[in-house]
Amino acid sequence: MPKRLISKVRRWAAARRAIVVLAAGFGLAWVGLTLFGTTMVYTSTEAFCATSCHEMANNSNMEYIGSSHDRNRTGVRATCVDCHVPHAPIPLYIAKMGALNDLWSHHVTHTVDTREKFEAQRPKMAQRVWTYMKGNDSRECRHCHTPANMDPDKQSPIAIARHEKGKREKLTCVDCHFGITHHEPKSGPGPQELDVDRSLIPRSAIF
Amino acid sequence: MFKKIIGRIRAWGSRPGSLFILIAGLAVGGVSFASFGSFMVYANSEHFCANACHEMQPLQKEHKGTIHDMNRSGVRATCNDCHVPHEYVPNYLAKLGLLSDVWGHWTGSIDTKAEFDAKRYELAKRVWVYMKSNDSRECRHCHTTAKMDPDKQTEKALKRHEKGRLEGLTCIECHFAIAHTEPDGPGPQELFSVKAAAADAPASAAAPVSTRKD
Repeated sequence: MPKRLISKVRRWAAARRAIVVLAAGFGLAWVGLTLFGTTMVYTSTEAFCATSCHEMANNSNMEYIGSSHDRNRTGVRATCVDCHVPHAPIPLYIAKMGALNDLWSHHVTHTVDTREKFEAQRPKMAQRVWTYMKGNDSRECRHCHTPANMDPDKQSPIAIARHEKGKREKLTCVDCHFGITHHEPKSGPGPQELDVDRSLIPRSAIF
Repeated sequence: MFKKIIGRIRAWGSRPGSLFILIAGLAVGGVSFASFGSFMVYANSEHFCANACHEMQPLQKEHKGTIHDMNRSGVRATCNDCHVPHEYVPNYLAKLGLLSDVWGHWTGSIDTKAEFDAKRYELAKRVWVYMKSNDSRECRHCHTTAKMDPDKQTEKALKRHEKGRLEGLTCIECHFAIAHTEPDGPGPQELFSVKAAAADAPASAAAPVSTRKD
């Protein structure tokens, strides 16, 4: 099949002038990449992420609604992707590939298709996210929250003291700020109890 | 010389094509697309925006320390968040508009602080008119009105937002000069109010007249 296709394309190209073939390749690349990019953008929207499968719509999204990342004084929000999908191109594409796993469990294994199953899986899923966030020093948190631009005059004394302590103890955001948007699992270790080796992962790495 | 190059390209182009040329076309397309996209991203960065020309540096200094730079949570809005559209087509159009900045840089229209101060009102007005015309679209890209928690806003803010809605105001009419120094001259509300439209046009369009009440 691929052999036949290649010879077809070869014959097509040989029957045309080089400049036309070059332009066709150029156009194909632009159209293909535009479609690719549009898919990346669309699959990063709340409209897609939060509602395309009932697993997200009935659990994760319902928990998110009304939390401080959804609703706050200024109306500046963080949606699904802001916290759960990397922002640099290469990690983003890898994460999108990982979403195939979601399709698999939705269509084939039905891992979390009822509330009960979701609750049963919750500790495992939460620990997976915490491990990921600890491993990259809460990279997605820091994409929006810049510690150097936090105004100490606007933070409470307790927040300042704790941030100071966290820095000394080399904690990362999710070590303390967990269960802020989705329900906290009823069992299992919290992020601080999870052991993650961060020494191998460079900060602000693109890969 | 030129003719010779064109002739060569023409001669090459009229040869029969091949699979290799198709792949070359794909590669050229891919590289140019990626370069275009990366440039669009880079041109939105604070690194480029605030430092590419010396004219912008005072504006960046004004932004420093304002609420959109430094606040409780450290969530920032940088140059492009407020000043460049986020949708694709308007974004590309705005980037083309940057050519005017390049022209302004070469002709030295706001080369010195004195020149900049003399033009500040005109520049500010241009931004206000733009923001009014699209209902503060760039503000609303981050600030979702429906997601503002009334319990977390002050009594005064709630009342004023309500009043603004009733009067059909847009964000910029009250929230202006929050990141850059305010120029002398009529502010957005004076420019856009019904009264200002009823009054003679030249008066509202005229440059610095200190009619703003504090």
